[in-house]
Amino acid sequence: MTEVSTSKTPYVFLTLGVICLLVGSYVGLFIAPREEYMGDVQRIMYVHVPTAWNWMLAVIFAFGCAIAFLFKSDFKWDARMEAGVEVSVLFALLLCIQGSLWAKPTWGVWWDWDPRLTSVAVLLFASLGILALRKFVEDPLKRAIWSAVATIIASVDLPIVYFSVKWWNSLHQQQSSPQTVSSAFHLPLRVNAFGILFLMIAFIMLRTRVAAMRLRYETSAPPLVAEGELA
Amino acid sequence: MSGVVVGGWGFVWAAYGITAAVLLIYGVSLITRLREERARAAAEGEPR
Repeated sequence: MTEVSTSKTPYVFLTLGVICLLVGSYVGLFIAPREEYMGDVQRIMYVHVPTAWNWMLAVIFAFGCAIAFLFKSDFKWDARMEAGVEVSVLFALLLCIQGSLWAKPTWGVWWDWDPRLTSVAVLLFASLGILALRKFVEDPLKRAIWSAVATIIASVDLPIVYFSVKWWNSLHQQQSSPQTVSSAFHLPLRVNAFGILFLMIAFIMLRTRVAAMRLRYETSAPPLVAEGELA
Repeated sequence: MSGVVVGGWGFVWAAYGITAAVLLIYGVSLITRLREERARAAAEGEPR
């Protein structure tokens, strides 16, 4: 049904990711200058913003896999989608925690129902719902179709997340770009962005293998038959 | 009130520490789950 790769590629990405994160975090914590108004608290940006970028990539990946499954009906796309959704949940949770830790000293609150934060929370809970759906539906085909449709619907929220700071008068700042961020902050931001990207690729590859092996087990297992039914 | 945030290293360490811990725990859990699936496949004679 689904081929399960045994290559060492994910472990290479894991190693690269850890190295980049260690280097980027060291530069961000100890070498990059203090920001003028937020002081040292701004250093949270070097993990928060890369997490946000890669969370969006994970959501787009899951969306692409959902579309691919619906068109091709190949279960390798279902396994990849499951991996993408789970990794997106992980990154969304991290995003909310890092954001809260940045919000408290700068906004004075741990959480605010502003459009950016609310739309991220909506996508986080929608993704959790998709994972729950996958747990409860036993038939692999129904599970794959339903969760692909749910993933596509949930992904509609992503452009809302991205543009929320432009569309509404939001407490959250607008997207950062090389033009709006001092060049002194670029290096740790970029190195950590690659670090989290490499980790995300490794996580998705490994999680896809787990999903593919479970799928193969499910589809090869004999159906459950009540005692005496075969006689 | 100067409008400048003073201190806050506790928040910074918490953000980096939680991020590292969550990524590490998830990575280890993935490797563990993969090993369990491989062990199950091997026990049932499936190709790995």
